Amino acid sequence: MAEHILLRDLDIPDIRRFEVYTRHGGYEALRKVVTTMTPDDVINEVKKSNLRGRGGAGFPTGVKWSFIPRQEPIKYVVVNADESEPGTFKDRQILEGNPHQLIEGALIAAYAIQATAIYIYCRGEFWDLTHALDRHIEDARQAGFVGENILDSGWSCEVHTHLGAGAYICGEESALLNSLQGLLGQPRVRPPFPAQKGGGLYYEATVVNNVETLTNVPWIINNGADAYLQIGTPESPGPKIYCLSGHINRPGNYELPLGITFRELIYEHGGGIPDDRKLKAILPSGASGPVLPATDAVLDTPLTYEAVAKIGSTLGSASIILIDETVNMAWAGSKMTQFFAHESCGKCTPCREGTYWSRRRYDTLLAGRAAEKDIDILSDVAGQMTGLTLCALGEFAVNPVVWTIKHFRQDYLEYIQQAAAEEKPAARGKGKAARDAAAR
Amino acid sequence: MTENTVTLHIDGTPYQMPEGMNLVDAARIYAGIEIPIFCYHPKMEPVGMCRMCLVDIGFEARDRATGEPVLNPDGTPQVRWGRKLETGCTTRVTAGMHIRTKTQAVTKARKDILEFLLSSHPLDCPICDKGGECPLQDLTMRHGPGTSRMAFDEKKRLGKHLPLGDLIVLDCERCIQCARCIRFQAEVVGDDVLAFHERARSLQIISISDPPFDTYFGGNTADVCPVGALTTVDFRFGARPWEMENIPSISPHGPVGENIALGVRLDRDSGGVKRVKRVLPRQNEEVNEIWISDKTRFGHHFTLSPDRLQTPLLRKRGELVEASWSDAIKAAAKAVKEAGNRVGIIAGPMMTNEDLYMLRGLAGHVGSRKLGVWPPNLGDPDPVAEVGIAAGSRLTALGKGDAVLVIASDLEEEAPIWFLQAKQAADRGAHLVVANMRTTKLDRYAGHVIAYDFNEGVDVLNGLTAAAISHRWTNRSALERVNGYDELTAALKGTRQPYKEAAEAMAKARNLVVFVGDDGLDPEGHTALLRAAANFLIITGHAGQLNNGLVPVWPGANTQGAFDLGFSSENTRAMLKNPPEVLILAGAPAAADPAYAALLDRVETVISLTMFHNAAAGADAPTTAVVLPIQSFAERDGTFTSAMRRVQRFYTAHGPAGQSLPAWEAVGLIGERLGMPRPPRSSALVMQALTEEVRLYSEMTYPALARVAEQFPPIGASPDFYGGATRSAAGGTGIAWPSRAEGRGKLTVKAVRAPEGVKPGPGELVISPVRRLYDRTPEFYTATLMHGRIPEPFAAVNTADASRLGIANGDSVVVHVAGAAVHVTAVVDSYAPEGVVLLPLYLSSEPMPLVPLAGTVEKITEPVPAD
Ligand SMILES: Cc1cc2nc3c(=O)[nH]c(=O)nc-3n(C[C@H](O)[C@H](O)[C@H](O)COP(=O)(O)O)c2cc1C
Ligand code: SF4
Ligand code: SF4
Ligand code: FES
Repeated sequence: MAEHILLRDLDIPDIRRFEVYTRHGGYEALRKVVTTMTPDDVINEVKKSNLRGRGGAGFPTGVKWSFIPRQEPIKYVVVNADESEPGTFKDRQILEGNPHQLIEGALIAAYAIQATAIYIYCRGEFWDLTHALDRHIEDARQAGFVGENILDSGWSCEVHTHLGAGAYICGEESALLNSLQGLLGQPRVRPPFPAQKGGGLYYEATVVNNVETLTNVPWIINNGADAYLQIGTPESPGPKIYCLSGHINRPGNYELPLGITFRELIYEHGGGIPDDRKLKAILPSGASGPVLPATDAVLDTPLTYEAVAKIGSTLGSASIILIDETVNMAWAGSKMTQFFAHESCGKCTPCREGTYWSRRRYDTLLAGRAAEKDIDILSDVAGQMTGLTLCALGEFAVNPVVWTIKHFRQDYLEYIQQAAAEEKPAARGKGKAARDAAAR
Repeated sequence: MTENTVTLHIDGTPYQMPEGMNLVDAARIYAGIEIPIFCYHPKMEPVGMCRMCLVDIGFEARDRATGEPVLNPDGTPQVRWGRKLETGCTTRVTAGMHIRTKTQAVTKARKDILEFLLSSHPLDCPICDKGGECPLQDLTMRHGPGTSRMAFDEKKRLGKHLPLGDLIVLDCERCIQCARCIRFQAEVVGDDVLAFHERARSLQIISISDPPFDTYFGGNTADVCPVGALTTVDFRFGARPWEMENIPSISPHGPVGENIALGVRLDRDSGGVKRVKRVLPRQNEEVNEIWISDKTRFGHHFTLSPDRLQTPLLRKRGELVEASWSDAIKAAAKAVKEAGNRVGIIAGPMMTNEDLYMLRGLAGHVGSRKLGVWPPNLGDPDPVAEVGIAAGSRLTALGKGDAVLVIASDLEEEAPIWFLQAKQAADRGAHLVVANMRTTKLDRYAGHVIAYDFNEGVDVLNGLTAAAISHRWTNRSALERVNGYDELTAALKGTRQPYKEAAEAMAKARNLVVFVGDDGLDPEGHTALLRAAANFLIITGHAGQLNNGLVPVWPGANTQGAFDLGFSSENTRAMLKNPPEVLILAGAPAAADPAYAALLDRVETVISLTMFHNAAAGADAPTTAVVLPIQSFAERDGTFTSAMRRVQRFYTAHGPAGQSLPAWEAVGLIGERLGMPRPPRSSALVMQALTEEVRLYSEMTYPALARVAEQFPPIGASPDFYGGATRSAAGGTGIAWPSRAEGRGKLTVKAVRAPEGVKPGPGELVISPVRRLYDRTPEFYTATLMHGRIPEPFAAVNTADASRLGIANGDSVVVHVAGAAVHVTAVVDSYAPEGVVLLPLYLSSEPMPLVPLAGTVEKITEPVPAD
């Protein structure tokens, strides 16, 4: 891609500044929608572009906006900047390098649903970015893009920021809304959904969108849905920021079209695996999605919502973690399970108890005290959570267990065989990981 | 909920159910099918947390194009089943819905959830208070796995004795994080006192208020807790549920008549006698639903308190000494006989209808009509008989389109259950109007708060009535049966109407309930206020309709019964002017008011029937010649009539304190000596006689009062305690007598004006008594566990008055009023209106008047003399 659409700071270093952003066409899209388009025009254009949510689920953004009841007097746009998925760091770069494009995108969304206010919910660790964001919003307000009677259209919209307090679950939209309201960050029962009266922020109809999602919007307005559809695939159009981390030579954010293959991304853009070690496994969507063994078939799969689903995983927010042959995948499973056992909100039984129980099983396994039946118990416990939890976190939590066992059962058996051989588990672990675990 | 009935299939069988009803309740009630639950509670919003209620839900398929149902080859509708199981508790009954509760997936899900819950549970059932009535135990037996695969040493270890405040103890290991306790306090009560702390498996209940768990309803959380995580300090480790008998009873505290069950058991610590181990709510949807106040729950200790009077006392050579019943009765009868019709009776708030009936019989026998009620500050109760809330009404029925007015009462302090119900009516959309001279907690939920000056409550009501008349918010057909409308209209001409919006909301409401208290009122003011409220109810057409009418916030559990049987507050007051020769104090702490303390000295003889021999009951009066020990509500059968005119029956729970007798029997023995017929042999027979003589009570025989009205949703009756430990309505739900407005006769409106009221002289303030829920009367103070909750004696002084008098918050002050000197701490707060000092009753043993009077407040600079 010649020029970046989202990470424009890579092309224009100072674009985070209001003057620079406007000098490069910033806020023209907002001016265009407010002065020349009806809210329905905007929704239709975004629908037509088939922009899909970059927060993880890939839900079509225009369709989401069209669910908002028109006649409700109070409506909100909430920007999900909680970015807490392990291996995800793309929203951060947008907030840092190209914040006005996000603000503009959010304002266009707000115009499309005729929202009265926008709330940007940032993860707690983003406090510095959030303070900077407040200044950027102030700049936009001075120029008349935020606040009362925006561009003389008669439409008014406030923009507020809010800092979270360090909970992964607060990235889940309904828990986020609770947290924003000052309530305990636990998901809500749905229906009602956020888009419905009763389900959103302060129980008013609300659109919740990811940072990256909204950052696409000004470009779509400026260049049209047709141009957007030229990028990526018809089902997964547009650019995507891929977050590469783990065993990779050049970790970082890569803005590339959807539809490139894992192989291109990892070996061409990411520079391959350090020391030319063998790639063992890929986590395409952080800790949440099923792990994939790094087979040729997988490596040649295009990075689209539909193709990754077909090979049994999810693209999610495209936080791609690479794991090489030095790692025991049972250990990796235990790490991810620890994460979920720590981040489960505790509201529903299967997730609260299941993650805790799984974590204890892994402790036993890694300490060399497990038998083969413990692998079955781990699978069973995961099976007992599947489909029974209140929110998707509980479903995510199952993946590391189920899929590492499915693809890498041998790694589990290693721990058990070590134990059976009555050797000290630390003596023969594969790499540092196993030694660490055994030492605990 | 709509009354629209739809067809829904459960496990293949069609059932008719009300559309929109919660699926868990509907399945249980209409199909007799249990969907197991933990977090759902029929009185709270569903939260879908525990996942125990998962079922398979499907809908009848319809052809996209034609909209016609798609049929199977056999002609049955094709059902599209959901991808995943869904929580029944968050599902509402919808037409065409199909539910499967017996599939393998459902059975497995239940087993799986239970295994999860048990993986963290300590399984200390053998020492758990809930053991035997525990939903977790019951559902595990029915749906759970036989064994656990979770290694015991991997279970989470947590605190087992964490006090959440001084009344409730939390066992964190037992808690299954259902949030019922939090939701009860936040949703039902509105006290944000509990919350979750932390997350994941560390999620834990904490108290977030200061002082901790600061609420009048905390005990209910132990009932709704589906495990033994919350225990009350009163009952904790006291008995096993199956060892106790649950005796149906009625709360002796306050006007609500909360239905309760007394859990009694032979008790080693009490010398092997039966005693009350705990008090639980008993479901009565027309009274307290399934809730009780902490006063009712914990205030039972007086029934077998060692402070109770054990034997009769008789004055001999100037001293009250123990005596036999026969000597005491002889002496009492002699005094009554000599006084003839110059016998006066003052009956206290816990006298039962049977007691009152025998007392009035005795008075009748000697030709006396001096039947007084304690307390003496109440007005004429006739408006209650005329337009009292219609029999069978439920506050739970009030919601959108309805209105509630609370005037001159602090409901939370005086009738906590009504506070909760008024608040919930407002939550459901009812328009709540709170009018008082001071702020009360209910103000938070009010659509209109009317803050009036001292003594102006009547003007407020007159203004509302005048607004209704001048804007024609009256009800034409209702007016046809009204006498005095024109006179009322004329009399109210020119009345100020500052609260038009409130008047309109109430006048036009579909249903209107008006609570009238006696805050800041003297008897004339109270009479006028009750009448003024009746006027409004009558002209707006609310009188006589179901879920409408007047509710007097009487001070006592049987104040209404006393009125019904011809006792009155006016008669009590008349005795001050015209003292009787013999004064019978029947459970009346009359000497707590200085004027009546003086009265005791002005009569020849006082006969006191009492549970507690103390100064308030005449112990210090030299004229007290006979003191007879009487039984509490737990030691005998009897009936109380609630302020909603519901006659309710309670049953003997345990043996008597010492030689005490039921008051009716003691009175009967005196009567017998005076030549009256032998007293009836049982409480039931007294009631039988009463029903034959008192027309209002003609239906109220014991068998009739024992009848149980169907309860909906049937929480207490459920075998698996799905609504908590609440007991079923067994024992009777009582009968309310209808107000006159419910009949066809004429109703009368009558213009009233605010009486003169108190006119404080220079340097004086109005000293207005107020009632607090927790006080130091022996009926409550004997519950030692509550001592930390009872405020020190205080007086609330307005900020402006305080600064004028040089009084600071926390100063020791003495209130001089009507010859009494009351030593209290000053609480300086704008909650008291300017010019008025609020003096809570019964916080100390110093006598103080029960009506507002002029007085002074003085800062104490000298140390308080020890008495
Ligand atoms: C456990 C959990 C965590 C999530 N965390 C995030 C997050 O950090 N950022 C985000 O944008 N979406 C997150 N989501 C997805 C949101 O719930 C929601 O789908 C998204 O914000 C919608 O925006 P989009 O349509 O623009 O993708 C999370 C979902 C779950 C279940
Ligand atoms: S699945 Fe986990 S995170 Fe989601 S509600 Fe349940 S306990 Fe909370
Ligand atoms: S203490 Fe009881 S009621 Fe409260 S959350 Fe725990 S189990 Fe539920
Ligand atoms: S989730 Fe339905 S009862 Fe708990």
